[in-house]
Amino acid sequence: MSDNNEKFHEYDGIIEHDNPLPTWWLWTFFLTIIFAFLYYIHYQLAGGGTLQDELKVAMAQLEKEKASVVDTSPMETEDSLKEAFGKDGILAVGAQAFASKCAACHGQELQGLIGPNLTDKFWIHGKGTRMDVIAVIRNGAPDKGMPPWGPVMKKDEIYAVAAFILSKQGSNPAGAKPPQGEEAP
Amino acid sequence: MNTTSGNLIEKIYYDDDIVKKFLLATMVWGLAAFLFGLIAALQLAYWPINANMEWITFGRLRPLHTNAAIFAFAGNAIFAGIYHSTQRLLKTRLASDLLSRMHFWGWQLIILSAAITLPLGYTQSKEYAELEWPIDIAIAVVWVIFAINYFLTIRNRREKHLYVAIWFYIATIITVAVLHIVNSIEIPVGFLQSYPVYAGIQDAMVQWWYGHNAVAFFLTTPFLGLMYYYVPKAANRPVYSYRLSIVHFWSLVFIYIWAGPHHLLYTSLPEWAQTLGMIFSLMLWAPSWGGMINGLLTLKGSWSLLRTEPLIKFFVAALTFYGMSTFEGPLLSIKSVSALGHYTDWIIGHVHSGALGWNGFLTFGMIYYLVPRLWKTELYSKKLLENHFWLGLTGVLLYYISMVTAGITQGLMWRAVGKDGQLVYPDFIETVVRIVPLYWVRAFGGTLFIVGFLLMCYNIYKTIQLAPKEQKAEGTEVSRSGFDEKTDKTHRKLEGMGLVFSVLAFLAIAVGSVIEIYPTLSLHKYITPANIIEPYTPLELAGRDIYIKEGCYVCHSQQIRPIVSEVLRYGAASTVEESMYDHPFQWGSKRTGPDLSRVGKKYPNLWHFSHMMDPRAVTPKSIMPNYPWLAEKDTDFLVLRKKLSVMKQLGVPYADDIVANADIDAQKQAKLIAEDLEKNGGPRNLQKKEIVALIAYLQSLGQKGKQ
Ligand code: HEC
Ligand code: HEM
Repeated sequence: MSDNNEKFHEYDGIIEHDNPLPTWWLWTFFLTIIFAFLYYIHYQLAGGGTLQDELKVAMAQLEKEKASVVDTSPMETEDSLKEAFGKDGILAVGAQAFASKCAACHGQELQGLIGPNLTDKFWIHGKGTRMDVIAVIRNGAPDKGMPPWGPVMKKDEIYAVAAFILSKQGSNPAGAKPPQGEEAP
Repeated sequence: MNTTSGNLIEKIYYDDDIVKKFLLATMVWGLAAFLFGLIAALQLAYWPINANMEWITFGRLRPLHTNAAIFAFAGNAIFAGIYHSTQRLLKTRLASDLLSRMHFWGWQLIILSAAITLPLGYTQSKEYAELEWPIDIAIAVVWVIFAINYFLTIRNRREKHLYVAIWFYIATIITVAVLHIVNSIEIPVGFLQSYPVYAGIQDAMVQWWYGHNAVAFFLTTPFLGLMYYYVPKAANRPVYSYRLSIVHFWSLVFIYIWAGPHHLLYTSLPEWAQTLGMIFSLMLWAPSWGGMINGLLTLKGSWSLLRTEPLIKFFVAALTFYGMSTFEGPLLSIKSVSALGHYTDWIIGHVHSGALGWNGFLTFGMIYYLVPRLWKTELYSKKLLENHFWLGLTGVLLYYISMVTAGITQGLMWRAVGKDGQLVYPDFIETVVRIVPLYWVRAFGGTLFIVGFLLMCYNIYKTIQLAPKEQKAEGTEVSRSGFDEKTDKTHRKLEGMGLVFSVLAFLAIAVGSVIEIYPTLSLHKYITPANIIEPYTPLELAGRDIYIKEGCYVCHSQQIRPIVSEVLRYGAASTVEESMYDHPFQWGSKRTGPDLSRVGKKYPNLWHFSHMMDPRAVTPKSIMPNYPWLAEKDTDFLVLRKKLSVMKQLGVPYADDIVANADIDAQKQAKLIAEDLEKNGGPRNLQKKEIVALIAYLQSLGQKGKQ
């Protein structure tokens, strides 16, 4: 880009030259304009997919992948859980998860606050078996203020808090909330 | 003196006093704006800096920072430069000393009233248009004073043809007036509260048409005008290409105005508008770079000056940052890039490479150029100037790099979905904790920038102090020129016709505005009757006003995008109907905390109470401020009748008896919530308190549809 040294105009001592427009700049401009037109025509006039369409496709894809993964994991039973809950170090993991996610509603000592006391033998949901506890943690009781944790926590983490909760059965913390639900045998 | 002879020499006196006033105001408000920014940055890194004081919590401080940076710092700088360069380019004194002073003092009063009302929580919650209606009116009046003064000056000119800088100033004056007036149409509810006439997607469209073009016509076009004057002046080099000026000026003003919806990609704004926003942003790339090219090629060959005139460094850096951000902007407007970057700190990084790098450095260069000339002396220290430059540059780079890294990191964490179809980071707070170290880096970068700025203030102070005490105004000898020039070039003729030029500039910005805004004004066309929602109850409306007052929207969005990870995290994508009664809309633009559009019924009332009193009671690592005063302040129930009647006037279907009984109704609902709080072990007697109204609003979010 050599400077065209001809003075074109002058204002307050500022001299204006009149060099040609840089070619690469002009091409950038043209190409963006052409792309813009094609893009608009494709998506707004020629029936290109809308954002909602894209979401549907992506959700379907996700469901498919999910289905293929779930098939391979073994069925949960009370026995398989018993084994899983016995893993080393699981209670420490559970205690930590409980403190950060559950204590706000169930109290630091599980004594009950907004949610029920989790150390007594009384259960609103099920009878306090491992399967029951896992189920209520996963599905929650959204109408009653217990959030569903299935979508938020990983399987191992849910196992860990459940194991932690069951390990606190009968710990009789101070300020425990009065029993709610049915007494388990 | 008014002879037709082109060669008569006249002695005239420029009004430099007004330029000095605006320059000093620039520095004073600049310091305030930067300090507010630094405090806000520290609050995000370390929440206790919110200090449990309602006036300076992040939600109220950030709007104060943005308003101060844009309107006080950049605004005063623009006025100083425009008034200084225009007089010289048109060879005439400003038309009216009185109007100039009314402009100056009026503008400072507006800034002062912003600095008082924003911390007190008087806000419309529309970004960069937060100020309440009496101040909006004052802004319009002062702007009109500025415009009259300016156009009269153009009429008095002794130079027939308008130089390119003036084109940019004209476009600025016209467009800002249009933007401000259209976006501020609102109905007062009280002395310092109002509801905009627009709702939901309408309000979003108008607001971001305004918001984006505040960047375009307040932070870009006037600064390009300043660039076209001060860069060739300081470097004493010819402007590279007149032709390029013409092409990039007209394409820039015509295209810029369309780009607003790139702030609203993947939202419930109609898709045609989103697509227009994206493609016009892409087309904006070359016109923006036209300005950078013309600037940098003007400086080409002056590299030796970098040693003798070091202030040129600021101009080189400013133009480079301008080029960077106008490349990044179109990139961020591509739908798939926006999907990652929107709501994250990437945007904050982007804004600041423009704000600190382009606006900041150009202003600093201009100040270093102007002060010695206006005070007829030499700059006190070139060494300090050098130090300012390098500190500032390091500061901006640290700011930019840390925020882009934070934004992309968090964006990737939000969207990560595992093989099992679940979010990899379902806990929002995990994604926040990860980027807190980068908030510290940003605050450090900001500190460097401020230290550099303080060096400048000292340097300028010394310069003025050492200037000759006798500052008698020197006249300048000028003669009329250009009036007898014969030309057959259309654009050259146009440059000689100020009024026609201004009308054409207005038309250029009117086209895109009308095409994008007009259709959304008939909101009903976009609404499916079956999905129409229930309006807020009076108590919920009271709570919503508290949400606005505390600036919750500054950190929380209410707009779930049709993207898999968002649907998994927050629920079904937001619809047009969900915000159809929202005057103003609350979609937000940054997710420092999670989206709230479906938070209703997710947690018990008491959870919200504990959370608002101390977020760490329920989320141990939260960085949200505490809001203890909400449990102490009373809700104003009586004003609800007025509020509902204004809403009804705006088309929200409230029956007459609901409006008439709004306060009673609200008190009933408040009592129920207060009882529930007490029953579950919360404090007693909260029914009159603001917290209860806020909880009512939060519990209604996402619950108003017919499920
Ligand atoms: C927002 C408050 C809240 C949080 C947070 C919360 N819970 Fe709950 N939880 C409740 C409420 C309320 C109930 C009672 C539901 C009902 O009445 O049906 C409950 C019930 C339960 C029950 C069943 C008790 C019974 O008697 O049947 C279990 C188990 C439980 N929660 C575990 C957890 C775990 C584990 C976590 C953390 C991962 C957690 N909760 C977090 C509020 C909460
Ligand atoms: C030391 C200098 C500065 C610091 C430390 C700083 C800091 C900040 C912070 C913390 C935010 C909010 C970030 C968030 O929400 O996460 C912000 C936003 C913003 N700042 Fe600054 N800032 C500085 C200077 C400036 C300048 C000079 C300008 C303009 C001239 C500016 C314009 C803006 C704008 C427009 C936003 C809002 C961005 C958006 O809405 O997305 N800032 N700044």
